[in-house]
Amino acid sequence: MKKVRFERIKRTETIKLPYMLDFYPLEDEKNIRISQFFNNLKEGRLTTTRCKKCAKVLWPPRIVCPSCFSDELEWTDLGTEGELYAFTEMRLGAPLGFVEDLPFCIGIVKIGGLSISARIDNAKYEDLKIGQKVRLKIVELNDGRVFYRFEVMK
Amino acid sequence: MRKVAIVGGGATRCGKREATWRELVQEAGKEMFEDVDDISPKDVEALLVGSAQPERFVFQVHVAPMVAEYLGMTPRKVIAKTELMCASGQAAIRYAWACVASGMADVAVAFGVEKMYMPDMAEAQTNMTCVLDREWDGINGLSAPPFFAMTAQRHMLEHGTTKEQMALVSVKNHHYSTMNPLAQFQKEVTVEDVFKSPVVAPPLNLFDCSGITDGAAGVILVPAEKAKKYTDTPMYIIGSGQASIGNTINNLASITEWIPLKLAVEETLRTAKITLKDVDIAELHDCFTISEIMEYEAFGWAKKGEGGKFIKNGEPYIGGTIAANPRGGLLGCGHPLGATAILQALDILQQFRGEVPEGRYVKGAEVAVTHNLSGAANVHSILAYSRSER
Repeated sequence: MKKVRFERIKRTETIKLPYMLDFYPLEDEKNIRISQFFNNLKEGRLTTTRCKKCAKVLWPPRIVCPSCFSDELEWTDLGTEGELYAFTEMRLGAPLGFVEDLPFCIGIVKIGGLSISARIDNAKYEDLKIGQKVRLKIVELNDGRVFYRFEVMK
Repeated sequence: MRKVAIVGGGATRCGKREATWRELVQEAGKEMFEDVDDISPKDVEALLVGSAQPERFVFQVHVAPMVAEYLGMTPRKVIAKTELMCASGQAAIRYAWACVASGMADVAVAFGVEKMYMPDMAEAQTNMTCVLDREWDGINGLSAPPFFAMTAQRHMLEHGTTKEQMALVSVKNHHYSTMNPLAQFQKEVTVEDVFKSPVVAPPLNLFDCSGITDGAAGVILVPAEKAKKYTDTPMYIIGSGQASIGNTINNLASITEWIPLKLAVEETLRTAKITLKDVDIAELHDCFTISEIMEYEAFGWAKKGEGGKFIKNGEPYIGGTIAANPRGGLLGCGHPLGATAILQALDILQQFRGEVPEGRYVKGAEVAVTHNLSGAANVHSILAYSRSER
């Protein structure tokens, strides 16, 4: 049998978190048509779109009303204080990018007539109560992208 | 529309398997074709492959032709993957059924496969966190356990459901899975065991949650009029229901009452021309213990809010009001996403054939339903099967 040559090849050992495994969307106007939502967050305002034609408040924010298909939507403020409808704490099974945050609280927050999911910061599960008031908080990533969370009012 | 029957099928053992996605396909495919002597792979005209996330779990797309190649099939009518997350396998059965019912195909295969164990568990968990809307719910860490934890919290608050009642669902389904050689979990658990298992997301402990599971299964569908040509014991598809309302948390019909399931149940009973009393076996989607409790209620075996009492009273055991999950459920058997509905169908087939062990055999069963939910329980899918042609 002929001698077969073996060669060890080099591969990059680590890669940075690829775009599609990043839970945070691209937020600028070149990539998304609701970039105003994120611009508003940067000003400390949690907003969503309302249909000018049928007046429906739509969450998540969007560019077409699913009730009347109007594309004339406007931004409306949801306020900065909400109330906990339900909550839990992730203790096991966090996805990549969140593992180092464990444990962390997650809730469903009633705010501005909506019920939205959100991280609840500054709290332990044992200390939270249904109906408790929570306040809007903005988190900023290294690259300047932002997202909303809530924290317990003390 | 033609009536349709399932004439046979096969499956792998489920669990943390020392086998790849491709190997699971081969194991289940061999069992499936060996179960039906007179159908060869070349007879298969339609192939539907239920697989929720092969793109993520095994980094592979265009998977239906892979299944066809590995199992020697060359479909000439229909071939595609079906994805409806936890109900992907039921989607495969539904489309295969439609292919045969419409006359488009005379032999169809509904196959399901999922390889969920990855070297890095965090990567598997990442995949499971883009099921709900990733940019608005997943981004908050909202994968299945926290969502169902909050569902349980509300159910406990509004209806007085207890952690013990939830644990009893796990006890029941693990009891039945000890008699199922395909099941991932082969040991009985007690309420105490459930309480002592690690907390995943309170009030849910690990044994309140179905597993991360590798597995595959397939079934063969033909027109009912030709079914007896292939087997003495076909199983007939007699009805179905499926409903979807909302997707993001804000747009769900309700957190504590599964309205789409109630709609799907009504549609199933209507199309199958049966009442709930006719149903002898129910394979319910117990992805979490709270799920099965809410399903007793939405189906109508228990009153709204009384699902916890229903299990406490032993009603969902064989011999009770309904034999719920005598296969062992997702809690006992594991939940290989795309394969789950096919495994449920196969177990009903074996029940009708009288091929299951005594301890989990529902003697004389004539009608069964299998149910899957997906996403934030915003989608519910049901199929109804019968032992005799109706």
